Amino acid sequence: MSSSMQDDVGVRDQWGTKLGFLLAAIGSAIGLGNIWRYPYVVYENGGGAFLIPYFVALVTAGLPVLLLEYSLGNRFRQGAPATFHAISPRWEWLGWWQAAISFVIATYYVVILGWCLSFIYFSFGEQWGDDTGAFFIGEYLATSAGAAPEGFWDIGGVQLKVLIPMLIAWGLIYYLMQRGVSKGIEMASRVLMPTLIVMLILIVIRAITLDGATEGLNVLLTPDFGALIDPGVWVAAYGQVFFSLSIAFSIMIAYSSYLPRKTDLSNSGLIVGLSNAGFEFLAAIGVFAALGFLAVTQNSEVAEVAGGGGVGLAFIVFPQIISSMPGFNTVFGLLFFATLFFAGVTSMVSILECVVAAIREKFDMKRAAAVNWIVGVAATLSILYVTRGGLFYLDTVDHFVNAYGLAVAGLAEVLLIAWVSKTLVQQRDHLNAHSYVKMGPWWTISLKYVTPILLTTVIVYSLITELGENYSGYPGSGLLFLGAGGVALTLILALALSLNSRAPHDEYVHTLKE
Amino acid sequence: METGAIIMLLIGAIGLWGGLALAIFNYNRAAKREIAD
Repeated sequence: MSSSMQDDVGVRDQWGTKLGFLLAAIGSAIGLGNIWRYPYVVYENGGGAFLIPYFVALVTAGLPVLLLEYSLGNRFRQGAPATFHAISPRWEWLGWWQAAISFVIATYYVVILGWCLSFIYFSFGEQWGDDTGAFFIGEYLATSAGAAPEGFWDIGGVQLKVLIPMLIAWGLIYYLMQRGVSKGIEMASRVLMPTLIVMLILIVIRAITLDGATEGLNVLLTPDFGALIDPGVWVAAYGQVFFSLSIAFSIMIAYSSYLPRKTDLSNSGLIVGLSNAGFEFLAAIGVFAALGFLAVTQNSEVAEVAGGGGVGLAFIVFPQIISSMPGFNTVFGLLFFATLFFAGVTSMVSILECVVAAIREKFDMKRAAAVNWIVGVAATLSILYVTRGGLFYLDTVDHFVNAYGLAVAGLAEVLLIAWVSKTLVQQRDHLNAHSYVKMGPWWTISLKYVTPILLTTVIVYSLITELGENYSGYPGSGLLFLGAGGVALTLILALALSLNSRAPHDEYVHTLKE
Repeated sequence: METGAIIMLLIGAIGLWGGLALAIFNYNRAAKREIAD
């Protein structure tokens, strides 16, 4: 890797252009969940009527928190730990916790990128055969012979056919991270994001022109307004908006710290938030139109073929759809899995970048060294997920990190700014300083009251569900050790890192205090 | 398609894609004003 300005200690990376930042931030927000989670959340929570709580959640929680993170990053021009340290040294741990959570997510997110690469290859000649479930679970992942809970701890050996594509994905991610913010992440986003959107539009056009597409769209969009009196639907809307926007990962703090001070932050945030929401709405149309086609082909109901979303939708149900199509099956397969891969790559680099920024600032490290350490450790840990029990471990860690790690870290962030340090007004002033659209009282009220109340409700709701039954029927030991234990470990690591008072950003903090 | 589904499709499209178009329009207008200043 050639040395550049970005390799120098103390020299802050910058986005090459504002458009580059916008595309990178949109790329971060748009991820796998937009394609495989959102359509099912809509379908299971009132269909078209879900759009009402979704809009409300977007305006009262999603966009306000996103803009708060833009304001924090751009005002303090540091990663999350240094930013929270600048606000109150006692809260540096929160930035580290967010970075640690992002690091854990990176260890399994890349495994899914590897699956996408494999399925791009399997699309040639539809190599998954007729029983796509048996192919993915049994043949490809070679998941432990005994299903959960019995097979949970049957780790088994590393699966080479899963390991190799994952290592290829790591190679690409490593290359982009070493290239830096403008030459790596921005360059990739400039190419991948427009391509991703064109590919999704092609998928949607093909899907809605298939027989039975209207059946799927009716199931997705026909409103059930009675569902709006169910608090669970509102919790789902706030959860979806919160998890979909890359909030509380510390990503947006790092990304906006690379922007010039004179940036229209509000409009940038609105564009990113609405692009993310618009993308997932389009993806839902494509997914359910395709599910309608599958239902008609199998003489079945959409509800029966839909499954539960997530990994199953992408790697079991969609291969069935691809094989059932009247023509261009391989092309459609390539388009679908490449769309997933591109959406995942732009999110993956953002997840790692916030960790790189935090480590570089704390330990005065060159970019190359920080990337070597972070990718090296993360790649080693990710081997756990390419074992025979890997799917169980990935599912468990993902569930706990999202439901408790991110949600609690997000709540702590909002409470810190709105109630502990009481610096919401300063953040709003910074946001409005160069913005065309000014944030008014709704922004303050949302962050001070609506977001904390709703996030607390989301967390309590998850806890109640958790205590009622074991997640996915996994054994309590697995949930406790890998799930709750994993979240606890990130918190302990964060506290340990924040105890080290040596910080290159101290000089900047003093400047602020003066 | 059922009427309810069409209405919700339009609401989603106008709300999300329309809102995005408006935000991009505002962004460009602000950028032009910045250049003029």
